[in-house]
Amino acid sequence: MALGLLPGVRVLDVGERISAPYCARILANLGADVIKVETPDGDESRRMGPFPEDAPHPEKSGLFLALNLNKRGVTLDLESRPDADRFLELARTADIIVENQPAGWLDARGLGYDALRQTNPEVIVASITPFGESGPYAGFKANDLTLYHMSGQAHGVLGPVDDPESDPPIRAGGHQAEFLAGMAAATASLMALYRKRATGVGCRLVVSSFEAMVTQIISGLANCAYGQPAPSREKDRTAEPAVGGMVRAVGGLLPCTDGYVAISPREEAQWQRWLEVMGNPDWGTDKRFATREARHSNYDELWRLVGQWTQERSKHDVARMGQERRVACFPVNTVEDLLGNDHLREREFFVQVDHPEAGALRYPGVAYRLANTPLPLDSRPAPLLGQHNHEMFRE
Amino acid sequence: MRCSVSKLPLQGLRVLDFSWIIAGPTAGRFLAMMGAEVIKVGSARRPDPSSAGPAFQVYNQSKRYAALNISRPEGVAIAKRLVAISDVVVENFAVGVFERLGLSYEVLRQERPDVVFVSSSGTGHTGPDKDFVAYGSLLQHYTGWNSVSGYTGGEPVPGGLWADPWVGMELAMLAVAALNNRIETGRGQHVDFSMAEALSGSIPEAILDYQMNGRLPQPQGNRDAHHAPYGAYRCKGADRWVAIAITDDDEWRSLCRVMGRADLAGDPTLAHAEGRLKRQDELDEAVTTWTKDLEDYEAMRLLQEAGVPAGPSLDVCRVFHDPHLRETGFFSPLETSDGETHDLPSLGWRFDDGTEADVRAAPTLGQSNDYVYGELLGMSRKDITRLEQEQVIY
Repeated sequence: MALGLLPGVRVLDVGERISAPYCARILANLGADVIKVETPDGDESRRMGPFPEDAPHPEKSGLFLALNLNKRGVTLDLESRPDADRFLELARTADIIVENQPAGWLDARGLGYDALRQTNPEVIVASITPFGESGPYAGFKANDLTLYHMSGQAHGVLGPVDDPESDPPIRAGGHQAEFLAGMAAATASLMALYRKRATGVGCRLVVSSFEAMVTQIISGLANCAYGQPAPSREKDRTAEPAVGGMVRAVGGLLPCTDGYVAISPREEAQWQRWLEVMGNPDWGTDKRFATREARHSNYDELWRLVGQWTQERSKHDVARMGQERRVACFPVNTVEDLLGNDHLREREFFVQVDHPEAGALRYPGVAYRLANTPLPLDSRPAPLLGQHNHEMFRE
Repeated sequence: MRCSVSKLPLQGLRVLDFSWIIAGPTAGRFLAMMGAEVIKVGSARRPDPSSAGPAFQVYNQSKRYAALNISRPEGVAIAKRLVAISDVVVENFAVGVFERLGLSYEVLRQERPDVVFVSSSGTGHTGPDKDFVAYGSLLQHYTGWNSVSGYTGGEPVPGGLWADPWVGMELAMLAVAALNNRIETGRGQHVDFSMAEALSGSIPEAILDYQMNGRLPQPQGNRDAHHAPYGAYRCKGADRWVAIAITDDDEWRSLCRVMGRADLAGDPTLAHAEGRLKRQDELDEAVTTWTKDLEDYEAMRLLQEAGVPAGPSLDVCRVFHDPHLRETGFFSPLETSDGETHDLPSLGWRFDDGTEADVRAAPTLGQSNDYVYGELLGMSRKDITRLEQEQVIY
């Protein structure tokens, strides 16, 4: 049985760093035959780490290894005509080409969409750009940090702070904005591939990373469109300790013996069940906490009392006790917790792959299981620089 | 002319969308804007919680909306008839709810053997934690995502609305991947999706760093492990900041030039990232000295003209008014169910060949009853009225 949903689909990854390689990895997870095209110096992410013992090594970057799992890799110097011709030969065999080169870079080397579709009329070219190809910011640079801030995400991720004048908005950990741009490119490419299969027509599509990020906060945009102001970042000015978008929950983080637990007993029945979880403490009947509004007004005192109970217990115990009573309650898991998590083990979320230089590592797999199709998640480690040159270009 | 056809990619496909709140409806939104006929199915018995506010108007753009009470056996029977004429079915109820209603994948595939059935839940449909009560912003804590997000040395961030919209796009992606497979093989698919795993999959650097070095990656605010200066810097006005990210030595020299700091540009210990990382507190102060008297948009303009990645840290209403989004046509004026016109968003990609996303206002509950039950299922007006009175079409 063929593996995945995209057997026989060939993808060229002409990406650097994160967004385009992540797009191609999504397609590789789904069974596409992905060939990564690198410069002779290698993808910049080979220099980004994390590295074992923090010692940079082009074959041991955790980011590169994760983004390029299940791909083959070739090196081409697209500045040279013979290599550019080799690239066009490869392009002739491709269904999808994904790239995030600077604007005009491929065109200047005779490898733009017009050249590509001369060699392969049905090809789909997905270009991931910072801001698209029109509008005042076309040509501007962007990366994970600036995209996270410009799209409004940074203002929302923290929730309200004590002093907005000294506590800046921040981005999330990792490279969320660049991953999201890659996901958008994969989504649009598969839609274009479906159309190609139905009609035989290829196309070029352009992802604006900025606009992809902005589509993450459309609920906030809807509020603005209906005349509501943006939520304040100042704790004292928020109606309820909200944690983003339309979720206006009485909830938050509580200290435990080994970290934090996050709870949100937002509805009255949930709050009553949460009191049961805590063994119905005497203060539970206090009128200061009798209604949702009252609990909000006395939030600091309430949270202090609840915290006294949680801080004597482990985060996993508190979460389990809450969940047993149907209260939304989660441990704030670290990556160590994830790697030892029974649920993820039973779902075989992590995928162990051996790499000739970096050794055996457990990589996060995919968020889906398919009833009718096995997935090729551990078919090969990320390619060594130029590993498949001979295989791909032997005459 | 680039392509001769500008047909929307998913034209001719029908999606039956039983989902509610954010993640599932967002998936349907992507599919609808790219040409699929998306029929949202819901009931006044348990209204979609998002319909209480404006959010509903974006999560359900470009869809149809039929009322159906699937807590009633007759409602389930009608749901099955709709499955039989649909290509994709989406649901995001708590694990087991759809099965208990009598709408498991086994049942669905009897109605439609090649159906693509997408089931999304907080922690997936198998495993010891599958029944966890989950809200997206809280679930994020389970995934490791929040443990690497926050101020340096501070608590993890409490929330952030990231999981649901991200998952919405990934669900749309998977539905289309399965449709691509179906067009080749004739085979349908059931997708068991875990929101938690989607987020854990988005922090591979942290997961590998722990394995490589035995340390728990910590939140680092706006900072970056490899580059400096890298941060959000104070600008003129209340809560105004500009994000600046220096990712190579050229950008560093350009930043110094724009700031008029030849002394920093000429300092050999700052010429490369390694040296800048060692002195980032000092560099952050130097940058703030320059930014604090500038408007945030002006700082962006000056820096971008010099080739430095920079942009204002916007709240959502300033995003709504951003001049770039206004000029690219990201927003469309749509007449919504209140009879007024609101500027509502579209998608983050465009096709070169002129294919335009189908962007329409969200429907109201039951708006498409006549189309769905009359035209598609061929029910008589009389039957529809009876089912409405019996609160089956409800």
